[in-house]
Amino acid sequence: MASVIVNFELCGRDVEVLVQPMATLQSVLRNQLGHTATKEGCRQGGCGSCTVLVDGEPMLSCLLPVEDVAGRRVTTLEGITPIDGLDPIQEAFLESNGFQCGYCTPGMVMVTRALLDHDPQPGREAIVEAISGNLCRCTGYQPIIDAIEKAADRLSGSGEQTGER
Amino acid sequence: MTVTDYFLPGSLSEALDLLGAHGPSLMVMAGGTVAMPLVNDGISLPGKVMGLRHAGLDDLREEGGGLYIGATVTLTRLLRQRAVPMLSEAARSTASWSVRNMATVGGNLFTPPPGGDVAVALLALDASVTLAGPAGTRVVPLGAFHTGFMTNVLQDGELLTGLRVPAVAGDTAYLKFGRKAANTPSVVTVAVRVARRGDTVTDARIALGAAGPHPLRAGAAERALVGSTLGPEVIEAVAAVAAEESQPFSDGVASEWYRRRMVRLFVTRALERIRQGGEGR
Repeated sequence: MASVIVNFELCGRDVEVLVQPMATLQSVLRNQLGHTATKEGCRQGGCGSCTVLVDGEPMLSCLLPVEDVAGRRVTTLEGITPIDGLDPIQEAFLESNGFQCGYCTPGMVMVTRALLDHDPQPGREAIVEAISGNLCRCTGYQPIIDAIEKAADRLSGSGEQTGER
Repeated sequence: MTVTDYFLPGSLSEALDLLGAHGPSLMVMAGGTVAMPLVNDGISLPGKVMGLRHAGLDDLREEGGGLYIGATVTLTRLLRQRAVPMLSEAARSTASWSVRNMATVGGNLFTPPPGGDVAVALLALDASVTLAGPAGTRVVPLGAFHTGFMTNVLQDGELLTGLRVPAVAGDTAYLKFGRKAANTPSVVTVAVRVARRGDTVTDARIALGAAGPHPLRAGAAERALVGSTLGPEVIEAVAAVAAEESQPFSDGVASEWYRRRMVRLFVTRALERIRQGGEGR
């Protein structure tokens, strides 16, 4: 079982890892690179708790062999959290009680980041569709949807609730 | 994890060489949304795996009024194309955003029911698949690709490289019924295409998902529809034929009994939608 070397960009820095063949990006992030915000959930692609961004698009790191992201840009929650304080998305989750146990939160925040990059003012329906692959067993989702609306309003500078698109 | 070798060929010829060299024991994986869960759980214990993400099979282009879709085009890219709205709708109905960013159109043909929603729409559009092997390439109608539950006409050493969707006539309707509004496995998926001259139906496709061992066409229902006028009584009769010939199954999503009734209901609704104006191709 020959290990292989893989290079990719992680949260703005070039990293090089020595991995077992077909090791998942999730296991490498957590066990070798210390990026433990990315959670291990179902390992089936069904819960979204391992969501990271690859070249800005949400993907499930539990289903992604790390060799597949060679040369690509991977962003985890660590990459969008400022050194001091919180990202506006994180602030909005905190204020809206958008989490209880917090296990789904890194995935939810990463999907929110990608959603707002594509659609700065998503309606509630677009938000629900965007997070439909991210399970939360605590909140009942409404506070999360509220948080994403709040983050969208702040980041787009409108400061008000927007209607459906 | 039992994998000793993970290959990422950079071209089709490299992929075919690897397939030839390692034989059927080489597990072929595209987006990984079906294969990786099995590997992660130890249900599948492959020694050698070939990933197709870098093999250059991801062309998506309009072609002769239709569409060429490389095998590894993601469902997100299929969703965003505008040339064939029904395929966009089928992609949107499948899984979640993150899964669609990984899952491929080619891989969808290998997804066991109740998965394979995109394949249902492709069937209604007369898509064909291109299979490449050591002896060259061959083209197979999608309707002749599946031979049973998770079996197909691929020979050892062959790879599915892409799909062609021809320019086809008629109005289409795609309906997926699940237990949630989004990211939900299919109770039943129906894709229909109806061409008419005046009031008379000249050609019809009725494709069903989660209603058999693989996505399939309701051939008897199609024949019952051609030559008739699309009215409420005809629609009711055709839907009954489709339900009769469907081969639904019971699983955690729905029972066989329920699925058969939903085939009838959703074929009715799809044909009604076309009767009342269709949704364009």
